[in-house]
Amino acid sequence: METAQPHAGVHIENVSKSFGPEGARTLVLNHVSLSIKMGEFVSVIGPSGCGKSTLLKTVAGLIDADSGVVKVDGMTVKAATKNKMIGLVPQSPALLPWRTVLDNVRLPMTVNPKANANRNLRDPREILESFGLGAALDKYPGQLSGGMQQRVAIARAFVFDPSVLLMDEPFSALDEMNRDAQRLGLLDFWQSNRKAVMFVTHSVPEAIMLSDRIVVMGAHPGHIAEIIDVPLPRPRTIDVYATDEFRDLEGHVRETLREVMGQKSA
Amino acid sequence: MSATDTSTLAVQAATSATGRRISPLASAKLKQNLRWTNWAPAVITFVIAAALWQITAIANPYVIPTIDQVWMSLIKDADTYWANMLVTGLEVAVGASSGIIAGFILAIIMAEFQVMERAVMPLVVVVMVTPIVAIAPALVVAFGFGMTPKFIVTALVVFFPMLVNSLAGLRDVDDRALDVMKTLHASRWEIFRDLRFTGSMPYVFAGLRIALPLAIVGAAVAEFVAAGQQAGLGSLVTIAAAQANLPVTWASIALLCLMGVILISLLALVRKRVLWWSDGAAVGR
Ligand SMILES: Nc1ncnc2c1ncn2[C@@H]1O[C@H](COP(=O)(O)OP(=O)(O)OP(=O)(O)O)[C@@H](O)[C@H]1O
Ligand SMILES: [Mg+2]
Repeated sequence: METAQPHAGVHIENVSKSFGPEGARTLVLNHVSLSIKMGEFVSVIGPSGCGKSTLLKTVAGLIDADSGVVKVDGMTVKAATKNKMIGLVPQSPALLPWRTVLDNVRLPMTVNPKANANRNLRDPREILESFGLGAALDKYPGQLSGGMQQRVAIARAFVFDPSVLLMDEPFSALDEMNRDAQRLGLLDFWQSNRKAVMFVTHSVPEAIMLSDRIVVMGAHPGHIAEIIDVPLPRPRTIDVYATDEFRDLEGHVRETLREVMGQKSA
Repeated sequence: MSATDTSTLAVQAATSATGRRISPLASAKLKQNLRWTNWAPAVITFVIAAALWQITAIANPYVIPTIDQVWMSLIKDADTYWANMLVTGLEVAVGASSGIIAGFILAIIMAEFQVMERAVMPLVVVVMVTPIVAIAPALVVAFGFGMTPKFIVTALVVFFPMLVNSLAGLRDVDDRALDVMKTLHASRWEIFRDLRFTGSMPYVFAGLRIALPLAIVGAAVAEFVAAGQQAGLGSLVTIAAAQANLPVTWASIALLCLMGVILISLLALVRKRVLWWSDGAAVGR
């Protein structure tokens, strides 16, 4: 399992992808390159339809790029999925309604069990307890609130100790108060389990709060417009929102997004 | 009617949301179901229908029998009716279960191998658009007056709704759950085992809801064309009708109807046990 350090994390190099039938293809990703180091939290933000999900799905091995290379810990995406190195948190919790919370979180252990060898599998109970779901272990997803369901989905992605976590707008369906609690919870957990994270979001404050770097994408075709560093100290708490640095960053990210959107209409 | 429907639905949702083991809500639901506004309308409809029937029967003695005539016949010849009901019941049991299993298995094969759908579905459709009433006599010629043609006819009518519904259910998986499985490099078997199989159950039960009443139709039709056998409620209907024996004709029809009601009630019970996780608004109702 131990791979040479320089390869650890996600490497996306010159990835392009088009959709549609021959002759009427639209370019969705245009020569996208991005690296996420081990233990680094990177958010991807950009206008709707700019290819964020497509990029994430390419890293997850759900979509094959037309050209370019994606490596996870130095391996091809295919090899990485075979070794269960990628945890995915989709936009909806996508839990199995007929399984208890505990059994939903156990799912990744029972699937593709060959890849369980030599890894630091976590105790599903323990991880759920640390997510504040200790009382819900034997409940069914239908009995939980949206926020709780999303936490179960995150626990499901963490439980088998993947090297990389991919999250596609995991909190977008929650109300603002709930989102804040979920963000802090995720941040808290990630602080002690530093994975390479690629986090797609539409929310500027969310991106700043969580990330080490923010990737701003532009559309038509999807490309990386700018990568903004977030030098705020960690661990971060809710007080970060009130700092000047936060507000400056927020202004900067919003300005960049405006430029990106303007470019589109021009 | 729809108002009471939605209220029971809401209560169902509440019960499933708080777990199956918790009884206070379940008993609340029972109370709700026992409220007279829930059952009284249906009872009134039945009483009115029965009264109209009785009036018509008394005015036209050679068209339909009175309810008490039918009832008397049922009491007097209880043994005969019971024996014939067992025959039809066996036809339905054997025919329907083979049709259900065959339909579901073929649906699995088609869902996993699209080539199989393209290869076999056209043939299935051709067989299914052929009127079953026309196939039945041909099967009797081929297989004689025994049980075999009845099993086959019953299985045939059940097969198609099961196949179509199961196939739709096996295909209709949560795309995002599928994405999660794929990033774990789940095998096709694992995806079937953990996702598709249970996920298809609302559709499977919707299929059963259509298929089981059809199974009785299939058995009865098969008995009509092979009435020489003189067994089964369907045969009883044809023979008694030919002799213009109205009470026996209608007593047999009533028993066929009773079988259907029993089957559908059993199905509803099993559905509740299997599909407790699926909200009432889903396809399977
Ligand atoms: N499977 C597909 N086939 C055809 N076109 C697709 C497919 N998937 C995505 N697209 C197109 O690619 C573009 C980018 O889609 P993508 O889902 O990656 O956008 P996004 O940035 O995630 O948008 P949003 O913020 O709305 O989620 C869109 O124009 C979309 O219509
Ligand atoms: Mg998206």
